[in-house]
Amino acid sequence: MGMMKYRTVEKDSFFTRLDFRPKLLMIVIVSVVAFLWESPLLGAALGVFLIVACLLAGLKVSYIRMLLLIMLPFYVLLLVAHGIFDEELVLNYLGQERLHYMFRFPGGGELFGAAGMSWEGFWYGVNIIFKTLSLTLVIPLGIFTTDVDRMIVGMVKSRIPYKITFIFSSTLRFFPLLFEEIGAIIQAQRLRGLAVEDMNAIQKVKVYAKVAIPLILSAMVKSQQLEVVLQSKAFSGSPDRTYLHSSDLTRTDYLLGGIFLFLFALVLALYFLYGVGKYSVPFIAWEA
Amino acid sequence: MADVIAVLDKVSYKYPRSPGLVLRNISLEIYKGEFLGIIGPTGAGKSTLCLTLNGIVPQFYGGDFYGSVHVSGLDTVENPISKLACCVGSVFEDPETQLIATSVENEIAFPLENLKVPVDEIRRRIPRVLEMVRLSGYEKKSPAELSGGQKQRLAIAAGLAVQPSLLVLDEPTSQLDPVGAQEVFAVVRELNRQFGMTIVMCSHAAEEMAEHADRLALLAGGRLLALGTPDEIYPQVQLLEENQVRPPQVCSVFYSLRQKRLPVQNIPVRLEEGKQTLRSVLQGGRLLPPPAFPAPPAPHGTPLFSVKNLRHVYPDGTQALHGISLDIRKGEYVLIIGQNGAGKSTLVKHFLSILRPTEGSVMIDGVDTQQLKVSQLARRIGYVAQNPDNQIFNETVEKEVSFALTALGHSPQVVAERTLASLQAMGLEEVKDRHPLSLPKGERARVVIAAILAMQPEIIIFDEPTTGQDYRGARYILDISRQLHQMGKTVIVITHHLYLMPEYAQRVIVMGKGTILLDAPIRAAYHDTQTLESTFLTPPQAVLLAKELERLDGRAYPLLTPAELAGCFERQNGHLG
Repeated sequence: MGMMKYRTVEKDSFFTRLDFRPKLLMIVIVSVVAFLWESPLLGAALGVFLIVACLLAGLKVSYIRMLLLIMLPFYVLLLVAHGIFDEELVLNYLGQERLHYMFRFPGGGELFGAAGMSWEGFWYGVNIIFKTLSLTLVIPLGIFTTDVDRMIVGMVKSRIPYKITFIFSSTLRFFPLLFEEIGAIIQAQRLRGLAVEDMNAIQKVKVYAKVAIPLILSAMVKSQQLEVVLQSKAFSGSPDRTYLHSSDLTRTDYLLGGIFLFLFALVLALYFLYGVGKYSVPFIAWEA
Repeated sequence: MADVIAVLDKVSYKYPRSPGLVLRNISLEIYKGEFLGIIGPTGAGKSTLCLTLNGIVPQFYGGDFYGSVHVSGLDTVENPISKLACCVGSVFEDPETQLIATSVENEIAFPLENLKVPVDEIRRRIPRVLEMVRLSGYEKKSPAELSGGQKQRLAIAAGLAVQPSLLVLDEPTSQLDPVGAQEVFAVVRELNRQFGMTIVMCSHAAEEMAEHADRLALLAGGRLLALGTPDEIYPQVQLLEENQVRPPQVCSVFYSLRQKRLPVQNIPVRLEEGKQTLRSVLQGGRLLPPPAFPAPPAPHGTPLFSVKNLRHVYPDGTQALHGISLDIRKGEYVLIIGQNGAGKSTLVKHFLSILRPTEGSVMIDGVDTQQLKVSQLARRIGYVAQNPDNQIFNETVEKEVSFALTALGHSPQVVAERTLASLQAMGLEEVKDRHPLSLPKGERARVVIAAILAMQPEIIIFDEPTTGQDYRGARYILDISRQLHQMGKTVIVITHHLYLMPEYAQRVIVMGKGTILLDAPIRAAYHDTQTLESTFLTPPQAVLLAKELERLDGRAYPLLTPAELAGCFERQNGHLG
């Protein structure tokens, strides 16, 4: 029922009124900072700041909850991987001789191949979690708060090649179709007796893997149809064309762009000169 | 002599990977302001012919091209496609893949932006073309929010925006419901008659082509077999049937009567002319009493499906079904019809437990379907959906057919036996090692049916099986449904193509706006033209002619097919014909 489609947030806010270019700058800067910072506390602060910004910009709580739920298994995996199995890397990173353990496995870890969960590994996992969370949140914050027409013009004016801009806008149009197709194929499998609901995670992954082949083939057929359609509409990929919509930078856009650049410079200076944002263990509550 | 807008001179063409020529020595002149229909079976070369007009063949596809095509004086090989796009607007079959922008106005602006038309001019043209296709007020909407008919009208508007001298439409209505198809034909006719736009359209919709086209070109095997007005082409019923093209039913009726040497001077091609000719046949021939049609065996036994007060509301608040109740018994062949949004697919999805009732219940053999999983129901119900490509997910035809048997836990021996039997039944043995998606569309549909048959379900549901198929492909699938019914299976078919069904269905359920408008044997249902029209369905021409016969004679003629209608007349003794 009803095809999914790309939709900007319904709420009119400071974010929605901005040009796409300062937002694009924000996406780039936040991504770089998220990669740079290894401090779990600063990473957490950035993540929480982005959640608040998303909510103020009109992104629905349900959307953020869904994002977190999708990412949750990955986050647990990160904590386990870094907390338990990443001893060597964390020791090298901190230059320490030994780790502080939150708990230890019985038998000294022979059974598990690791002694236990270390505080240092745990906090490193927290740092990676917030890096990914920031990257996951900053993109919808920039994209879902911008009207797609202004976004395309903004990208072209930012000198992003028109072909890339076109691919981006086509993805917004065709991604929902792809999801519909995935749904249809899985439904067809269920209608052929495949009890997807009774399967464990690995079996489900196998089912999804099977969907990939028809999906890729269908995407190839569709892309050729699309190419024919584009040819018939005089599309050449050349930026030398007119644009129905326009998007002009206002004083607020310039001001915000300036603030982003200033903050970016500050973050770089503090990081490289004083080590602010480098990895450190915030606290060790107990030791096993 | 009218002005010529396009000339094809001895055109032959072979795609880079096609085994032989797809177009063979075609010479054709297209006149300014005419509506040229292109008819022919699947694989005749109709789409390729359309693509030669905008230069996509051969410039985009490559291959071997012979002869020449000129549109508005431009050679389509020597001029770039972007330049030809100014002269030729194109509309394709699939409404989904030909709309590329994120809003209606952007869709129209897109070709104009590419052609560097100034923004002020683009802004002037958008409301103008939207008005021409009756989509004013939709500027900011996303194409995804439009109905199928609206999407095709938007594609037409985008084609018109470049102010072409020629509009080429390739099967624009084949994937639409009757309302959508009517909308598209109405717009195209208006463009042609009111604005003098030259139209070239490929379509299998014979009745509509007879009504709207000025000339028809019959293509088969890449050759131009016949060219003339619909009044010259459609009466050649034998030629059309030899080439797997369905003529309008009115032609079939009077062609058969002429074969019986009844006084039919000119075979009519349009319904109104058919009604006139019927009068002269009545005067010059002998009308037999209405034939007695034995009533179909009354369904008996406990219901297989029992639907009680079924209501369904989608999460977005759309009320799709309003308290539906019906029973379907074992061994019935049921046809479900109605316009898009009538609730047909929603109803059937409750049979499969894909959807759950908001209120009411659906029972299968006395068990509530809510207590059963989709995979459990799949053992008893086979579902053939509209698009075969979404139901294919294995690397070979054989694996596709055996997939369900393995999933249902059958032994390797049973899997092998049933797979082989199913492949044989569908004539797919020779292609069992090929990738299903490498087969032509008709064969892909057979692969899906073979996969369903291998499960040996008691009930088979065909959801729009004839959409996008030509006459031959549609009949092939329906013949399979009849064989299954004769084997004792319960068959449920959803389709808009009413003219195909009289030889197959026994019972018809007419749905409209989420309710059952009529549930009756097929003869009664097809002759309740008022109810059909209330849900935007047009009864087959043979039925409408039978109604006319009733009006003229005073007796009821519950006829459904051209053959039945022709069978009601005899030559008068001594009449020379």
